[in-house]
Amino acid sequence: MNGNQNIIIETKALKKHYKGHKIKALDGVDLTVAKGEVVVIIGPSGSGKSTYLRSLNLLEMPTEGSIIFNGVDITDKHININQHRQKMGMVFQHFNLFPHMTVLNNLTAAPMKLLKKSKEEAEAQAMNLLTRVGLEDRADAYPAMLSGGQKQRIAIIRALAMQPDVMLFDEPTSALDPEMVGEVLDLMKELAHAGMTMIVVTHEMGFAREVADRVIFMADGLIVEEGAPEEFFNNPKSPRLQQFLQKVL
Amino acid sequence: MDFLSKFKDDFVLNFVTDNRWKWLLDGLGNTLIITFFSLLLGLAIGIVIAIIRSTYDKNWEEYKKKGGIFYAFWWVINAISNLYLTVIRGTPVVVQLLIAYFIIFASSRNSIAVAIFAFGLNSGAYVAEIIRGGIMSIDNGQFEAGRSLGFNYVQTMIYIIIPQVFKSILPTLCNEFIVLIKETSIAGYVGIVDLTKAGERIRGVTFSAFMPLIAVALVYLVVVLILTQLVKILERRLRKNER
Repeated sequence: MNGNQNIIIETKALKKHYKGHKIKALDGVDLTVAKGEVVVIIGPSGSGKSTYLRSLNLLEMPTEGSIIFNGVDITDKHININQHRQKMGMVFQHFNLFPHMTVLNNLTAAPMKLLKKSKEEAEAQAMNLLTRVGLEDRADAYPAMLSGGQKQRIAIIRALAMQPDVMLFDEPTSALDPEMVGEVLDLMKELAHAGMTMIVVTHEMGFAREVADRVIFMADGLIVEEGAPEEFFNNPKSPRLQQFLQKVL
Repeated sequence: MDFLSKFKDDFVLNFVTDNRWKWLLDGLGNTLIITFFSLLLGLAIGIVIAIIRSTYDKNWEEYKKKGGIFYAFWWVINAISNLYLTVIRGTPVVVQLLIAYFIIFASSRNSIAVAIFAFGLNSGAYVAEIIRGGIMSIDNGQFEAGRSLGFNYVQTMIYIIIPQVFKSILPTLCNEFIVLIKETSIAGYVGIVDLTKAGERIRGVTFSAFMPLIAVALVYLVVVLILTQLVKILERRLRKNER
């Protein structure tokens, strides 16, 4: 009806505290992400940015608050989270490819088992994706034979093979050798330009500046500041962010 | 010369006369049948119990939150699994075999099927713990990757975790199977003529212990060596996806 149609994810007062810890990992995070938007989350370690990202598809169970994904509150205990996760692609710091499967099988497993695609259909799609990232000749390789950058690109297209509505990136370049960071960021840029909704936790300030529609700074489980990259980096308002940017830029 | 001719006479008496070598062969057949099927049964039980136990261990807090029938169901099958492990691992396999034969299946005269049941049930407990150990050793990132694609917990187990587990636990599993082969030598307790019992029968007829018992020991040794070799080949093939 109104602008709500364009909202893909919305969290309301999201909180998470681990048992036996005084400090809350998330202390009430409100965020709305629109379709096609690229949101980059930065912050010092322990700020809760990874916890926040991982709670979006409930890999971490939030203790309080709600997550509205495509109009459905997925923190409701009666919903089937597995169905909603199919629509949220996730990319991990350590790739987490399945080591016992070939690259091709890594890409076809979920579409075949979950979307009930035929083998031919799933493989054709997988080959398309592999061609898109220039790795079509590695289809029969096992993950252990690939470089870090190749692994991460495979991990990204593995998530894409489920045709998700949003892609979540949890520090996707942090475990890579420096010379391989570029190839992964390039793929992410391409995705962003193709209109994919992306939420990215990263330390790559260059990527945030160049690709993000909105940059978010988290500290102590809270959103401290957010804004368009230009304003955010050139004219930070809160002292926490000013300090942080001084250290990392 | 004297020693050699005595050895030859002994050999003929124990194995050639009345075709007694065939007793050993038939006994070996029974040993292999019991071992093979109880191995399959044990593996099936082991996988199921291991999945139940590790699913519950990993998710009980979440399940408790959901509450109701769902949590009750998992609580009950986990409790049953624990009871099974405790009882099987806490009692001798001979006693289990005797209970199966003389109490549970007292009316059955198919002693081989009863033995397969007893040995399979016994082996399942040990296999379950081996597999559970393997599951716990898999990097949590593998579970997360599976779940984030939309697989539910059990699908993640079956398609992603268990295949990896088998590779890492193969040597331990092989060990369990070797134990199982040799454990079946107590099948004679319920009137089955397995390899060991066949040797005993020869001894009972010929009143010479050396030949039949050493022969029985050698046959077990050869069977175990063949199995070990097969597992080695399997391991090498499974390792092809490592650099």
